[in-house]
Amino acid sequence: MSAVTAHKDPKLPPPVALPEDASWVGALKLFDAHAAETLVAAARTLYPHDGLPERIYRRTVFHFDAMAAKAPVAAQSFAEFVDLVDGALPLKFAELSEGYRVQVLKGIEQSAAFRLVQRSTVRFLYDDVEVWQAFGYEGASVHLGGYVNRGFNDLDWLPDPPPGV
Amino acid sequence: MTTYAFDDEGVVVIIGSGAGGGTLANELAQRGVGVVVLEAGKHLTADDFVNDEWGGYEMLSWLDKRTSSGNWRVAKDHPLNPSWSCQVVGGTTTHWSACCYRFIADELRAKTVYGDIPGASLIDWPITLDELDPYYDLAEAKMGVTRTNGLPGLPANNNFKVMYAGAKALGLNVSTGRHAINSIPYDGRPATIQDGFTITGDKTGSRWSTLNVELPRGLATGKLELRPQSRAVFIEHDAAGKASGVVYVDGAGVTYRQKARAVVLAGNCVESSRLLLHSKSARFPDGLANGYGHVGRHYLRHLIQTVWSTFDKPVHMHRGEIMGGMIDDFVRHDPARGFAGGYYIEMNSMGLPTTAAFMDPGWWGRDFASVIEQYSKMAGIFMSGEDMPQPDNRITLTDELDAYGVPVANIHYDDHPNDLKLRSHGYKVLTSIHKAAGAKRSVEAPAYPASHNLGSNRMAGRAEDGVLDGNGRAWEVPNLFIADGSNFATGGACNPTLTIVALAIRQAGFMAGQMAAGEL
Ligand SMILES: Cc1cc2nc3c(=O)[nH]c(=O)nc-3n(C[C@H](O)[C@H](O)[C@H](O)COP(=O)(O)OP(=O)(O)OC[C@H]3O[C@@H](n4cnc5c(N)ncnc54)[C@H](O)[C@@H]3O)c2cc1C
Repeated sequence: MSAVTAHKDPKLPPPVALPEDASWVGALKLFDAHAAETLVAAARTLYPHDGLPERIYRRTVFHFDAMAAKAPVAAQSFAEFVDLVDGALPLKFAELSEGYRVQVLKGIEQSAAFRLVQRSTVRFLYDDVEVWQAFGYEGASVHLGGYVNRGFNDLDWLPDPPPGV
Repeated sequence: MTTYAFDDEGVVVIIGSGAGGGTLANELAQRGVGVVVLEAGKHLTADDFVNDEWGGYEMLSWLDKRTSSGNWRVAKDHPLNPSWSCQVVGGTTTHWSACCYRFIADELRAKTVYGDIPGASLIDWPITLDELDPYYDLAEAKMGVTRTNGLPGLPANNNFKVMYAGAKALGLNVSTGRHAINSIPYDGRPATIQDGFTITGDKTGSRWSTLNVELPRGLATGKLELRPQSRAVFIEHDAAGKASGVVYVDGAGVTYRQKARAVVLAGNCVESSRLLLHSKSARFPDGLANGYGHVGRHYLRHLIQTVWSTFDKPVHMHRGEIMGGMIDDFVRHDPARGFAGGYYIEMNSMGLPTTAAFMDPGWWGRDFASVIEQYSKMAGIFMSGEDMPQPDNRITLTDELDAYGVPVANIHYDDHPNDLKLRSHGYKVLTSIHKAAGAKRSVEAPAYPASHNLGSNRMAGRAEDGVLDGNGRAWEVPNLFIADGSNFATGGACNPTLTIVALAIRQAGFMAGQMAAGEL
């Protein structure tokens, strides 16, 4: 975790504010609570960052829901994913321990539904400004004058190259 | 803006406003030639651009569907967008990271120098470096390439410090390289503020693009008309077999036909081959200018790959110009290495969103998480190497039609054994550089969608070996030209845009000369 401040481009909307409790699913257009919580569990199992709060994974699934609401094909794939992971073992996916969740996901890695969920998690999770902040990516910079006076060459644990190299 | 009538047969119609098309348009306009540029994308300005990797990607990219096949990793990772370019006024020069290197003499004589390589369809270029050098000089001056024309190199940033330390420890020749990005104010454009967002449009204009340099200057002559949101869908010819006009569809879905004195394709390789293949007629049953069957073949995309490494201490690679580093020890063909051709080593950095997306697209789980969490301590190093032309690495038309009724293109690419050897050599060297700088762990990232699309309408010394002559003119259609990288006879190792621009300047001189002589 690092001490930088992450900025989203001021022209883009800020991250959506979701309720911190179970009522967050009320913000979704399409997914029911079970589908939403299953996808949150899947996103966390795929990209397990123990230091990240649940709300970030929920925001990721909020984006899945928006995709599904726009494209029926995507909606069908997300639904299929939930069925696949729920049906693999005697317990529902969200109730499984991490080791079993990993086993279930490995078993469906070749499916289009898995691919959609995995790729979409990468797409939205690592685009979340709170994740940027946590992992030390500062993001938008032009509105702050770039990095020319804000550390573009401040690395000090290696010798500086000679000027003009 | 000057406007031309649809039935004006005196204009040169250029399809695409990127590196090749935008440059050629300005160069022709400066010579007094009337030009209409048809550009599929919108005319955006610096105000529209955002400092956001996905936001910029979605705003600028060519997102129309393509398909892919072959054993290249891209077909698995990015099956429906195997090639990466932009659909906007300025083309991919609104997005590129502006590394500018010249071909070396041997690369223009690849067949002679590399010899017979089974499976490879190598040829020599119909032009030599001596013929090209004066145009490289002109291109570097207009683009303001650092370390040419008295312009200083880009200053070292954090990611470069890592690259430099490793390269020096291994005795390699390393510098911040050459870029069409201002290190000091030049040509009315400011010096870089090291914002790190050249790939989402460049809001400050410190980097050369056809959007901020060539097109405005061409428009100022009164000879150039730019038509944004104009998608070319068919090239027509007359009874004599000369190109006579271009059919295109505007943003409202209305179809027009622009008559032409000459037609130039500059749609970024895949689109140019696709349009030729689609423009079939009784005279050209396999597509325009495709009598010898070379249109779409010998497609190249360079051997491009990145190694991402994590270190003990912060790097903050996202701060500053993203590709300001270069090592040229492996550029020359050296048979002792066990493969033909060479590669440039360059610096690479990406923000967290795209580093995560491209590091290894199918990778998930705790191991991936532990690497990406180290983002702030990560450095990136990259290579661009020569791939072998193969006749079956090609762009073809599928049975599926797009919204304009043009068949969706498929890109087929199988790695040649030489490609694999060069790649593997490169990964080892990239990793050793980072290790020498203290890397804890290095990840060999696969190629992302093809960003250097080349060769699929290649020039050749003989009509039976390619589509174009040495001026980028179709052997079979004397007033049809290509100004994008699909005209490359072979790929060379370096990033292609400086060469695309140099060839376009040269082509403008040729075309204007032919017109003055009454031959075009
Ligand atoms: C991530 C990335 C980084 C890069 N960095 C570098 C670098 O550092 N150095 C370098 O040398 N190169 C770099 N490149 C490559 C460089 O961008 C291209 O080589 C160059 O822009 C190609 O020029 P072009 O004229 O062929 O095509 P483009 O610049 O892509 O322009 C083609 C234009 O044609 C338009 N068009 C296509 N079809 C039609 C149609 N049917 N009708 C109307 N318009 C059409 C498109 O919308 C587009 O605007 C990079 C590319 C990428 C993706």
